[in-house]
Amino acid sequence: MLEIKNLHVSMEGKKILKGLDLKINQGEVHALMGPNGSGKSTLSYVLSGKEGYDIEEGSITYKNKNLLDLEVDERANEGLFLAFQYPMEIPGVQTSFFLRTAINSKRKYLGKPEIDSLEFAKSMRGVAEKLSISSEMLKRDLNVNYSGGEKKKQEILQMSMLNPDMAILDETDSGLDIDALRIVSEGVNNLRNNNNSFLVITHYQRLLNYIKPDFVHIIADGKIVKSGDYSLALELEEKGYENLAFNK
Amino acid sequence: MDLANNIQNINNPVLLDYLNTKILTNDPFKKPFVENYKYAQLNKHINIDFKASTFEIPKSLLDISFEISSQPHPEVDLLETIQNWNFHNSDSIFRVGSLVNRKSIQINLDNFKENILLLDLNKIQNNIQIEASPSSSKVLIIYNANRNQEVPQSIFINSSKQSNLEIVHFDLSNKKSFLYFQSILETGSSLNFTSIQYFNNHTRNEFYASLDSECNFSLHGLNYDNKGLNDNYSFIQHLKPSSSSREIFKSIISDGAITNFQGKIYVDAIAQKTDGYQMSRSLLLDSHSKANNKPELEIYADDVKCSHGSTVSKINQDQLYYFNSRGISTEIAKIILKKAFLMEVLNSIRDTQVKELSINLIDSLLNGH
Repeated sequence: MLEIKNLHVSMEGKKILKGLDLKINQGEVHALMGPNGSGKSTLSYVLSGKEGYDIEEGSITYKNKNLLDLEVDERANEGLFLAFQYPMEIPGVQTSFFLRTAINSKRKYLGKPEIDSLEFAKSMRGVAEKLSISSEMLKRDLNVNYSGGEKKKQEILQMSMLNPDMAILDETDSGLDIDALRIVSEGVNNLRNNNNSFLVITHYQRLLNYIKPDFVHIIADGKIVKSGDYSLALELEEKGYENLAFNK
Repeated sequence: MDLANNIQNINNPVLLDYLNTKILTNDPFKKPFVENYKYAQLNKHINIDFKASTFEIPKSLLDISFEISSQPHPEVDLLETIQNWNFHNSDSIFRVGSLVNRKSIQINLDNFKENILLLDLNKIQNNIQIEASPSSSKVLIIYNANRNQEVPQSIFINSSKQSNLEIVHFDLSNKKSFLYFQSILETGSSLNFTSIQYFNNHTRNEFYASLDSECNFSLHGLNYDNKGLNDNYSFIQHLKPSSSSREIFKSIISDGAITNFQGKIYVDAIAQKTDGYQMSRSLLLDSHSKANNKPELEIYADDVKCSHGSTVSKINQDQLYYFNSRGISTEIAKIILKKAFLMEVLNSIRDTQVKELSINLIDSLLNGH
């Protein structure tokens, strides 16, 4: 599904990723853990195509295509989804309208007709209910005056409706209370199947109690320093990044 | 009388009309206080010859010049669109424009049983005097698509006690457009005026309102895709206690155009419990367009609530990225963001039917079909 080879990325002259390798196959869930400033969010932005990052070396292959050749919206329409750590507020744009526009953009890209509005409303309400998002909230402006938890639920709602092949969750657990964490995790687990893949970026092992990863990677100073299975996350929780990542 | 004589010597009939209505009518507005010097007119610093002005232009601004040209017509025909607007209850609609062909018109809203009146300014060229009778409640739509003409318009409104009037004004595709708006609100009256200006080649708008006690006055302006200068001046005076005014101007500027907004809220010493709000926002689509905003408050009462704000911004790149990251193209995202920016003005139209029709109109303008 996704293969990153020897990725070197800098921003405004500062090197952030320094030779990162990562391969994610179809149906796998990978967790990426690392201390602050290790390059986790940079990786997610580079994958989604945000401007301002210089790719100095390396390659990213997604569905046998060179991901770096695609524009941000093309990547999304090819099934790549990034759940943001800090979702943008869009005043004046209703949440449901935004969602429908996004779905129709993808359908247009895939050569399908626009979604029937009744069908859309029904499926949106269904997903929203599971995520404890009220119908009143869907009428509000996107992310405007939402709490931290509501914004994250909104991201999961969008993810569920767009049904991506490769989803990246950038610290979706930050700022969530226990109930919201459970609801968000269930949202992810409901979507999980043999055809799609997830990259879950987090600081804490707690999220991984809910979303069980197949692989756990530790990133430090711009590259992956250790990979393993779920037990690595437990070990990390016990020993901390200092001991484990830097082998002290 | 010298002033009056001088005005009569002016050869330009358009300008003459404009000045006649503006200066020679019995102006009910108080002269500004001694702090006059603080209130320099923004439009006097722009190199646009509106002929009526005799001022010195600062040298630094001389490089700004505009060529007034014949514009290609926008793809949406405003005139046709509004003429074909379908209302749910056609009995409640009266199309004044189809009957009148005069330069000046007086309308007493009491004479109409209909709730919604449409005035086509192509036929009634400029001077409109409106009398909103006590306790009446009406909606008036004034529209003007006088292609490539210089169009001076003056609208005088007398809102009688307890009357409730809403006016939506559309102005599009004029060579030059002047709007002089003056309203007197009597005790307990409510007036909601929304002006939508699109695709004009220079506009100059002056809005004056004088409020008695317990009045509600709303003034909203929407400027989109105007060429050259779009210049707005407003002066709202609260003369008696417990009135509120709300003013929102939104402009989207591109292609080197300039928008000015200068608005003053004046609160008399006896006008306690006044609630005033003023906001002007401009969205610049390119780096050679310009927005000048100058909000002003002049308050002599001590128990009042008055606020004003002003912003100039460009399209938020992070918001665009967020749209893109959900598969929405930059082109569509920009249309959505522009509409979102303008929605505050459209949402202020109180009549739900007229609001919906206006939103649809703006939608089609933004989408170019």
